[in-house]
Amino acid sequence: MSGVNFFGIRHLSPAGAFFLREFLIETKPELVIIEAPMDFEDAVSDIVRSETKPPFAILAYTQSVPIRTILYPFAEYSPEYQAIKWCDENNVKLKFMDLPSETFLALSDERIREAESDIDENNNQDEQDGQEAAPDQKPDVYELLSEKSEDGSHETFWERTLEHCENAEAYHLGANLFGANVRELSEKNGIDEKETALREGCMRSVIRSAVKDGISPERIVVVTGAYHVEGLKTWETDEEMPTFPKLPSLHTLMPYSYYRLSTRSGYGAGNKAPAYYELIWNGLCKNDRFYAANAYLSKIAEKMRVSGNAASSAQVIEALRLSKTLAQLHGGNIPTLRDIRDAATTCIGEGSFAAISAAVADTEIGTRLGEIPEGVSRTSIQDDFYRLLKELKLEKYRSVTAQELKLDLRENLRASSEKSAFLDLNRSYFLHKLRVLGIDFAQLIPSKQDSATWAETWRIQWTTECEIVLVESALKGDTIELAAAYEIKETVENTGDISVIAKAVEDAFCCGMSKAAGYAVNALQAAAADNIPFYETAKTMFSLSNVISYGDIRKADCSAVEPILKQLYYRACLIMSASCICGDDAAKETANAINMINSVELAQGFLETEKWTKALSEVSFRDDLNTVLSGLCAAILLERNKITNDELKTEVSRRLSKGVPADLGAGWFEGLAMKNRNGLIARLSLWESLDDYLKELDDEEFKRALVFLRRAFADFSSGEKDAIAENLGEIWGLNGEEVSEALNAPLDAASQQVIDDLSGFDFDF
Amino acid sequence: MDNSILRLPAEQLFEDELNALIKAETDPVPEGWRMSPRSVKTYICGGKVGKTVITPKYIGHERLVEIAIATLVTDRALLLIGEPGTAKSWLSEHLTAAINGNSSRVIQGTAGTTEEQICYSWNYAMLIANGPSEQAMLKSPVFTAMEEGAIARVEEISRCASEVQDTLISLLSEKRISVPELSLEVPAKKGFSIIATANTRDKGVNDMSAALKRRFNIVVLPAPETLEEEMDIVKTRVEQLSGSLDLNAALPKDKVIEKICTIFRELRGGETLDKKQKIKAPAGVLSTAEAISLLCNSMALSGSFGNGDISDDDIAAGLQGAVVKDDKDVVAWKEYLENIMKKRGSEWSGLYRACRELNE
Repeated sequence: MSGVNFFGIRHLSPAGAFFLREFLIETKPELVIIEAPMDFEDAVSDIVRSETKPPFAILAYTQSVPIRTILYPFAEYSPEYQAIKWCDENNVKLKFMDLPSETFLALSDERIREAESDIDENNNQDEQDGQEAAPDQKPDVYELLSEKSEDGSHETFWERTLEHCENAEAYHLGANLFGANVRELSEKNGIDEKETALREGCMRSVIRSAVKDGISPERIVVVTGAYHVEGLKTWETDEEMPTFPKLPSLHTLMPYSYYRLSTRSGYGAGNKAPAYYELIWNGLCKNDRFYAANAYLSKIAEKMRVSGNAASSAQVIEALRLSKTLAQLHGGNIPTLRDIRDAATTCIGEGSFAAISAAVADTEIGTRLGEIPEGVSRTSIQDDFYRLLKELKLEKYRSVTAQELKLDLRENLRASSEKSAFLDLNRSYFLHKLRVLGIDFAQLIPSKQDSATWAETWRIQWTTECEIVLVESALKGDTIELAAAYEIKETVENTGDISVIAKAVEDAFCCGMSKAAGYAVNALQAAAADNIPFYETAKTMFSLSNVISYGDIRKADCSAVEPILKQLYYRACLIMSASCICGDDAAKETANAINMINSVELAQGFLETEKWTKALSEVSFRDDLNTVLSGLCAAILLERNKITNDELKTEVSRRLSKGVPADLGAGWFEGLAMKNRNGLIARLSLWESLDDYLKELDDEEFKRALVFLRRAFADFSSGEKDAIAENLGEIWGLNGEEVSEALNAPLDAASQQVIDDLSGFDFDF
Repeated sequence: MDNSILRLPAEQLFEDELNALIKAETDPVPEGWRMSPRSVKTYICGGKVGKTVITPKYIGHERLVEIAIATLVTDRALLLIGEPGTAKSWLSEHLTAAINGNSSRVIQGTAGTTEEQICYSWNYAMLIANGPSEQAMLKSPVFTAMEEGAIARVEEISRCASEVQDTLISLLSEKRISVPELSLEVPAKKGFSIIATANTRDKGVNDMSAALKRRFNIVVLPAPETLEEEMDIVKTRVEQLSGSLDLNAALPKDKVIEKICTIFRELRGGETLDKKQKIKAPAGVLSTAEAISLLCNSMALSGSFGNGDISDDDIAAGLQGAVVKDDKDVVAWKEYLENIMKKRGSEWSGLYRACRELNE
């Protein structure tokens, strides 16, 4: 035996944390060595501050693109966290012994590059378990374990045998044995073997040098994943250290959430139920072994009652008894999570898990968020973020439950200072900047009221991903504003699409960043001179139109944008008819574009309406263009009252006259039906023309037309169809209801036969 | 074993297994039980004791069996709920067979069940001749179970009228039965409990009161989760049944079982197994139990009138009866034949033709 005290743990283990503390008190070591990247040692002083509240994590990130990150989460019941705190309280030296984070990042980078062809599995964040064995081999080893354990689940096995240990010695021995067995079981492959060997080599050398520095081995406690205990026992043998790959990196402390902890359980130290594990920890501290089960079941009952369901204390007591019996069936005394949950299902949920599932999620996962004191180890952009949150009074929205925020961008005339008068506007700027940076903190909910340019609704929810992306954005700039400006500039520079640039302009205006907006507008001007496809033009116009409509309220100067929009508008009017020579697939996009330009024209008074109606008329009356688009233009003209009833009637009979191929005629009708249906339905003359048209067709032509007309009417609602039926009834001199009834009746055998025959019909000639 | 009896109770059918388990017992045995909870689980879920192989009686959802057993250990009453044919009665019979060695303390719940049948009634000739006495009393299975510290079964509890169901409330909370005529109070001995079963889908059931439900731990038995699991259940049961029924026919091949289970699962679920097509579901329940009886039926047909191998015609006849329970079902069944089965290729064509002939 080497003399060094190895304490094998699992990284999130209440019993491990509790017994490790006991073990430390008993052995009174001179030095505690923890398995964590050695360059994280400087974070310790912040970790032990009383304002730091777990769960939190250390996040290391590369300084160059592509950004790779690794996360080391800590909960209250992390053995490492308790060890760090104990060392601080007792003035004992502390050392971290794992590979530096730079190497982890380099290794993970390597792995990702290798697996590039494979699917991209949450690449940069899944390396937190760099601490334990290795991600790739996990499933095999732990599946094997699950099969072998009597509970059929390694998770339950671990909880039953180790989390509910009687005392420190049992845990100590048990965890070490567990680690040794897992090690034996695990089949290693490629990089993982290399990585494990590398890490253990590094850890051994740290132990060695500590002993060399004159600390006797018996006075050292090494806290490490149970898996590594066997590998570290040979620390005495001298060995040469290989060189490690390195990627320059930085690290920072960040708050973490229980929710995140539960979803990324990763390796065998799965922690799917952090709130429950906290209950175990509390139970250990209170010296009450059944505390977790009692508290769990009481909480479920409480939550059931809050949500309006019945849950009595008697049920809780019965559930507790049942869970204990279930534990005894498996040779334990203290129920495990699985036993408790099943008992709750049986006794409180009356046999159905669905009945208690919401309460279970709350009780097992919880909504706890960690806290980091202000100004601690954050990147400057994090500081900026939190400063702005405070300044804009958004702090209460930093929670894991989604909340809605309604903003009124207008000046608040009753406010005392200018700052508070424009509070909502500034909030909007801030949230838009976050959106531009891809920080998923707030989502803009599309407004139902188009005209209210001054209203915005956001759904705000804080997740740890926000923090991670935020830290990643540190490379783009030191403040949110700078980073957003950089992002916009980057977007403009890297694209050739004018609509993307226009979007960037819109973004810049939304963020209230006039300088960035100016830059983007210049780029837009340059791009607008080029030859731009019709659809792109329309998209760009739409974005610019938004900027102008919202510009006033956002206190932005749009004078530079208007001329560009005008220029694009003229161009669009000119090239529209040429763009309408296209196939049916492309027509969808073009139709979209026409609609967009139409709404832009309606919204912006300074554009010449004349030009637009002229272009529409041209497309509408020409016969050599895509008929769907011609139909659409006719519909728009109709909507804008530029076609009279008679003109429409003439046009219908012309388009649908005998001799025009049925698919073209029906296509035109389809286009016509794209807009303003109620207007169409109301025009009886239209339906007369359609009726006349159908009467003229012979059987073969009718079959063709049927298909296209069916398509045109496919997305009419049943109410609209009823109205059409009424119209037709009118024309045929029948009672509308009867017609509607006949149309809605199920098919009889004969018509079924006719339709079946149609399925063989070849429509493609 | 007496071969002339149509259906032996579980404790006789599996006497050897039970004895082997009792003999090899090492864990503590709760009072009133014949074996430890763990052995009960082995008896029901299968396993090995020494050289004796224990056949599984209930396949899938071992955890539910554990919960059921644990419930009985805590002296709570157990309520098994599920759709028809999910082996509720089967499980309750085997639980009592293992725990008490006697699965015959049964009350069958019907619309006509009375309070007397649950507690006690009288031999009226004796009552009139000698007045009330213990000899004149006819004890119900629940009464004797209380006296002996054993488990009584109440089948189809939801078929009983509500007031009869509620008789159980006082029995379960007080754990004693009183006979005012004899001024007698009979307390239940340790080990007493009740296993009740209830149906969720049948017609003609009375909802259980919340008060009664609270006195039970409720375990919901689901329909088999996967096709494989259902095939496994059907196969094991058909083997056991055909042995005791002398059907004179070869056991159905795996392919046949697969076809039947597929049809049942698809019609039950209202969509094809690959989830690509929706199907009109017939009104019947189409439980696993029905699949088992359908196959036994087909075996009987082929054994008595055919060559001993199950033919498509034998299955078709059974299927028709199982699926079509009223006029509407005919439409659903025909559609299934035309839209699904017809397009399944040559392997199914024989069965398809046989089924269609019956519907011509």
